[in-house]
Amino acid sequence: MSPQHRVAIVGGGLWGRALASAAARAGSEVTLISRREEAPPEGVSASRDFSSATPARIVLLAVPSKHAVATAHELGPHLDGGHFLIHGVRGLVGEGLSTICEAIRRETPARRMGALGGPVLAAELAAGSPSLMVIGSRFREVIEAVREGFGSPGLRLYGTRDLTGLEWASALSGCFAVAIGYALESGLGPGLVGAFTTRTVHEAARIAVAAGGDQATMLGLAGLGDLLAAVGQGGRPEVTFGRALARGESIERAKSELGERIEALTLLPKLGAWTVAHGVRAPITHAIVEGLFQGVPREEVVRELMNAPFGADE
Amino acid sequence: MNQGAPIFHFNEARASIVEEVVDRVTARAKDPLTLLGDAIYNEVRRLTASSSNHPGLAEWRALARRLHTMSASDQKDELRRLAKHHAWDVAGNFNPRVYGVATRLMPPVLGAIVAPLATATSLRRLVDAAALADRIAIDGHVAHVSSLVEKGTIVYVPTHLSNMDSIVFGYALDRAGLPPATYGAGKNLFTNPVLSFFMHNLGAYKVDRRLRHTLYKDVLKTYSTVLIERGYHSLFFPGGTRSRSGGVERRLKLGLAGTGIEAFARTGGEGASHAKRVFFVPATISYLVTLEAETLISDFLQEAGKHRYIIEDDESSRVEKVAAFANKLLRHDGGVVIRFGEPLDPFGNRVDHEGRSLDGQGRVVDGLSYVRNRFGKITIDADRDAQYTRELGEAICQSFLRHTVVLATHLTAAVMMNRLRRAAETDDLFALLRVRQRVAVPRLEVAAEIAALRDTLLAMEKNNEVVVGASLRAASGEAILREAIRAWQGTHTTPVVEEQGSEVWIGDASLVFYYQNRLAAHGLALDVLAPKREGAAA
Repeated sequence: MSPQHRVAIVGGGLWGRALASAAARAGSEVTLISRREEAPPEGVSASRDFSSATPARIVLLAVPSKHAVATAHELGPHLDGGHFLIHGVRGLVGEGLSTICEAIRRETPARRMGALGGPVLAAELAAGSPSLMVIGSRFREVIEAVREGFGSPGLRLYGTRDLTGLEWASALSGCFAVAIGYALESGLGPGLVGAFTTRTVHEAARIAVAAGGDQATMLGLAGLGDLLAAVGQGGRPEVTFGRALARGESIERAKSELGERIEALTLLPKLGAWTVAHGVRAPITHAIVEGLFQGVPREEVVRELMNAPFGADE
Repeated sequence: MNQGAPIFHFNEARASIVEEVVDRVTARAKDPLTLLGDAIYNEVRRLTASSSNHPGLAEWRALARRLHTMSASDQKDELRRLAKHHAWDVAGNFNPRVYGVATRLMPPVLGAIVAPLATATSLRRLVDAAALADRIAIDGHVAHVSSLVEKGTIVYVPTHLSNMDSIVFGYALDRAGLPPATYGAGKNLFTNPVLSFFMHNLGAYKVDRRLRHTLYKDVLKTYSTVLIERGYHSLFFPGGTRSRSGGVERRLKLGLAGTGIEAFARTGGEGASHAKRVFFVPATISYLVTLEAETLISDFLQEAGKHRYIIEDDESSRVEKVAAFANKLLRHDGGVVIRFGEPLDPFGNRVDHEGRSLDGQGRVVDGLSYVRNRFGKITIDADRDAQYTRELGEAICQSFLRHTVVLATHLTAAVMMNRLRRAAETDDLFALLRVRQRVAVPRLEVAAEIAALRDTLLAMEKNNEVVVGASLRAASGEAILREAIRAWQGTHTTPVVEEQGSEVWIGDASLVFYYQNRLAAHGLALDVLAPKREGAAA
């Protein structure tokens, strides 16, 4: 039995609450910092004040990517170099697509940073169903601490030192999960869905490597694992969203039906531009952007992909 | 000059430093058998490669035979004996009298030529020290560095182009009113006929790069840690060796500089009264001409993997070369510019004039918080510290870029290389170096392009991205071109750039490449040096 960890979770949405439950189940002393009125999950104390993060060692940011920098900025005065600052944000920010860790680095004194990823839904995690996640950090002690602070018989945490690769894999698999929903609804047969998923993973790996990550990370839990889950999961919001778009629904309508935030929606067009700027071949990204945002009919999107020129390594 | 700095009493403290190093290395050795085995393996391999009957071989082989029958305490004793041998070999010397003479009578290179034979008096007759002061320009965050000298240990981490660097830098410290720094110099410099005198007397300690075994590296790292802990300001070239390409370092080895974190954590550990702060000061050393340019660039251009790690026979070991070089320095104001960057803590944070660490928002942060583990205890954690050191390295590289001082030769070379690329219609380096026909450029065009590039650099300077050398700021393109050509003349065996009538052309494309590389990382010159992205699949 390792000593008890003190964990502060910033962000009271579904994801933040699920992570708070997981940490409480792991025996950690957990504070959920949120401005919402809802009662905290069982075994978790609530606070509305960022200063409640000070006594914690592990501080986890679980807010939408567009609020990550501002939240970290408010959190900054309450942290020092002893805090392990991790996040569970699936996204990349700014036009240059910075990872969340890159974007928040200057906001706080914390240096030992990390990110969570992997194929797990908030609802499953909250319910304590057996789940797997990945903790990425360049610091081994952060991986160890998060494993102790969050891991339990119901939650296994794999570790990677490839933080950049993990952050990109999380964001990319979110984007491509929309694509997979779109493909599923487009009436592709199982063979073609499998093929499409595989090519998607290859493309994501090319992108992740260009961004400074390891290919292997995209082929692991946070990339391939997450996309396989997308193929199988009915409840995954990105997949539902992709399906709705393939049916010809407008983005606005699909969004309002879902009632949940889709990070991929803002990210996909930026990703398209990023791959062009970095000379990464990304036919699937471009086809999906055309299909989703430029009203290209889905038959046309499929035809385009089937006729895309081969890359040198294919 | 403040004679209170610990370095002035180094020789009295030396025995106790060596003893502490040996004690620590021995105490830390969990597995003496493996360490001894590793030392035997590496030394036998190295000595066999140099000569089949090297005198040291028999001794190592005898130890190998004894090793497995030795008791645990015998192994520990043997380890201690070896650690002691290496620690004494590493330990340096500091001669305050030589220090005074050498720093007063700069340029150091000129001193170096005559010093082994001459007395201080004859030296003084040779050189007018006051006139020399202008030749080596010192700028940047000098006052900030001065304010920290008595608040902790300073670890200088400059760029590295030449074997002259440590001496030139030592001189700059003195000129700036800063106490001298001790530094680990390659063992080959101790046998260099020109430089050895300084190495032996100015607080350098010996780093023998041929020794690859763990025990030796332990001794070296521990030695450096103990020096920093005890307040000896230190100098490391974080690039590891001289830049072969002439480019500013973009990927650092850091190596010994990484010991700064351990030293800091140790002095702040349980029972310590207060942590001794450690400050890293990045600095750039910029030369109008580099003494060893020809050797270095030809080594760079060797096929990958064939670089020589240690070069023992370059220009810096030839007296007449050094003399010619020294003369060059004497004739150019600001031919060498030393620029101090903003001081950093061991974690890459900026520090204020009180020596307190500042986070990205300028808030004071307790440096010791970075070495506390997840239970709040101050620890020495090699894995963690290696990561901090990597991040520190990134901060140092950024500082190098911002404080790169562009001089006439860099600017002229960048323009000439650009013309060559346009004429040859390629960016392939080896194709460019093989271009045989003479690419003559009208002098007026060269001058205009030099002036335009200087203006671009001045604009970048406003954003703190680079520094434009003093003589270039208001000069005409033609004046800058003339300054460069004059500087190159007689420095290198082949003319770098040639001129006739109204035309200019490249005389030695390798050297043009060498000098333009100083601007490569800024995106203003041919960049074949960009390091592979961090973390990319191996």
